[in-house]
Amino acid sequence: MSETMQEASVQDIQERAAIDKSARLPVLFFFTSAAGWLFLATLLGFASSVKLAAPELWDACPWLAYGQLFPAHMDSLIYGWGMQAGFGVMIWLMARLCRVEIKNGVTLVAAGFVWNLTILFGVVAVWSGYGNSMPWLDFPAYLWPAMFLSYAVIAGSLLMMFRRRREGEAYISQKYIFGAALWFPWIFAVANLILNHTGGSALMNAGVNAWFMNNLIYFWFVPVGLASAYYIIPKIVGRPIYSYQLAQIAFWALAVLAGWTGFNRFLGGPFPSWMPAISGTAIILMLLPIGAVAVNLLGTISGRGSLMHFSPSLRFTVFGGIMFNLYGLLVAFSSYFDISRLLQFSYATLGYDIMVVYGFFSMVVFGAIYFIVPRITGCEWPSAKLIRFHFWYSSYGIITIVAFMIFAGLAQGGAIDDWSGDFMDSVRRGKGYIVALAVAWALISVANLAFYYQLLMMACGKGRKSEGPTLIHKNPGEAASAEAAAGFAPEDTAKA
Amino acid sequence: MDDKNSTESNLDYQGGRAAVRDGHDSVRREKPEPVAGGSNKVLISWVVGAGIVLVMAGGYLGGYSNFFDSSDSYIYPGYVAAARPVVEGVDTDAEQEPWIEVWMKDGKKVYTNCIACHQAAGTGTPGLFPPLKGSEWVDGGTERLGMIVLSGVLGPLNVSGSTYNQPMPAWGALNDEKLAQVLTYIRREFGELPEGQSGVVTKEMMKAAREKHGKRTSPWTEADLLAIPGDAELPGVEVDLNTGQPVAGE
Ligand code: HEC
Repeated sequence: MSETMQEASVQDIQERAAIDKSARLPVLFFFTSAAGWLFLATLLGFASSVKLAAPELWDACPWLAYGQLFPAHMDSLIYGWGMQAGFGVMIWLMARLCRVEIKNGVTLVAAGFVWNLTILFGVVAVWSGYGNSMPWLDFPAYLWPAMFLSYAVIAGSLLMMFRRRREGEAYISQKYIFGAALWFPWIFAVANLILNHTGGSALMNAGVNAWFMNNLIYFWFVPVGLASAYYIIPKIVGRPIYSYQLAQIAFWALAVLAGWTGFNRFLGGPFPSWMPAISGTAIILMLLPIGAVAVNLLGTISGRGSLMHFSPSLRFTVFGGIMFNLYGLLVAFSSYFDISRLLQFSYATLGYDIMVVYGFFSMVVFGAIYFIVPRITGCEWPSAKLIRFHFWYSSYGIITIVAFMIFAGLAQGGAIDDWSGDFMDSVRRGKGYIVALAVAWALISVANLAFYYQLLMMACGKGRKSEGPTLIHKNPGEAASAEAAAGFAPEDTAKA
Repeated sequence: MDDKNSTESNLDYQGGRAAVRDGHDSVRREKPEPVAGGSNKVLISWVVGAGIVLVMAGGYLGGYSNFFDSSDSYIYPGYVAAARPVVEGVDTDAEQEPWIEVWMKDGKKVYTNCIACHQAAGTGTPGLFPPLKGSEWVDGGTERLGMIVLSGVLGPLNVSGSTYNQPMPAWGALNDEKLAQVLTYIRREFGELPEGQSGVVTKEMMKAAREKHGKRTSPWTEADLLAIPGDAELPGVEVDLNTGQPVAGE
């Protein structure tokens, strides 16, 4: 049993309870408001894909134009849900790992209010046609300083916690959170300053925009998601990361490589060839950290995979981890010109973005939320059935989106590549697949409604009050055999 | 849990909604926090994989970057930076590129279809693919030329003194504009045009060619082509090389 962590001591338990209590207010605030945004974002995703499939629909209503629905959908998904849920996870993880209580909960909530108000303003502006059409940066130019400030307060608190940490050497998750906290202000300020305030050439602006999108993925979503996975998996499986050294190497590789990516989105574009070539090289080198994550994921859960049968946190996290690896492979593959000339600028790009923001990041964050919320509220998730529902509808939805967007991209790509062809031709070819996109968003919306409902119940203290976690499956027969498979004492499995 | 009593009293969230004593055991049941350090296994398979990735990345950079030497090279094969569009009916001022330059640049793009056989410089491959440079077919009347590209050639063909016998594919699937551009390109770039000829093939001329050509599905043979008079030109008005508009007085 040398690989297995020891049982917690009494002091540990007291300390954790105190930390969780101090985290309750800010973390619940971020989770509940994020989940609300998520529900809105998925509804907008559904509406925008219906509109894309049937453009004549709702013609009289400009609020339902695709060009307004789609960016509103993406922005609420990224800033309303993604980043905000990430804040909650970062705060809780940082407090737990640094073993410090959160002293400025009210300040954090105030910053969160500013964030929510700004995003609300931005999404309404974009939705009503006042966006500036730069993907993921569509908000009117005067909003970004407010987002920047509220982010600075949140990141500042994270860094302060890190300074006060009681444990000497930082755990890998702490490093990722520390990194993400600092990287975002950099890319966000650079992109906004260039795009909104120094009107450069239109071509270069498109490049900067692509650079921002890729960096938001690799400098924010990936590190926060990995921080959570590297915490949740060892915690539930009950043994340390398979190779800590590889995890460290992967961290530094990510830190060095991420900033170079971005121009690979324009492989055949009118940029001097060395620019996309460098980005594509960085994307291929990303396979090093991604491979390390794969090794650690498999190594850490190997032999105990049956725990995924019970623990929602583990199941969501592992699904996200697999999606992350697939994403890395697909993107590396597409950075070869012969493939990207068929896929770039097509729906496939949307499929990739959704794959990393939803398939990886959001799923991992769901896993973390299922783990964290019972601890900070003191009650257990009301219904295992709804958790199952959330998992299956989300995963079917996300797999449908990714697969169909890649097919749509293949159907479209050749037509886009023909520079003198009719552009509408390429749109028509992708159209059939858009129906699947609409269905998938509908599935995901329903799944998230279940999630939102459960989360609100928990937040009002209406969860289950019994001993023992809410497990996905509780059939005693199944549980016993899975425990036997995992080589566990019965009591040990209760680690949801 | 031996020390259960003291643990529970300490776990009571006094102010909070949740009374830990009422079954809040999630904190108690969890394992200790993961810490830094620990196993240093570096899998051999990862190291091997990393080696492959490094080689791939090197090959990628070498293959696509063009060795960082020129800001005028692009990954897209045959990419030529777009010319400024010519607005119809607007006076071309000195700054605007003449229409013919734009037309030739577009022609050069279409010519990427032909490079594999006729080579970038139009020299062909001796014995296999005929040259376009110095070819009497290119220099001669536009009607024969239009027919050749619309449905290709099969069987022996005599080009500047040598006989070639490979199939020439049909390009009828390209639209009139593209075909007109590529023919203009090969005539002006590789051809030796008779005095006073501009070598331009316009979209109207290509359209006329398609009408003459009718619904022919089989490729041309040399005999069929020679039946077309060598100096037959496709009908079309002469255009001003600066504006692309019909020459005044027409
Ligand atoms: C697959 C190789 C191939 C490609 C691609 C190709 N050609 Fe040809 N072309 C030939 C061959 C072979 C002949 C000679 C035909 C014969 O021997 O019957 C020929 C003959 C010709 C001729 C008449 C002979 C001469 O050399 O003047 C013209 C004009 C010509 N091609 C133009 C074009 C143009 C324009 C394109 C691009 C749109 C093109 N070809 C693409 C193989 C090709």
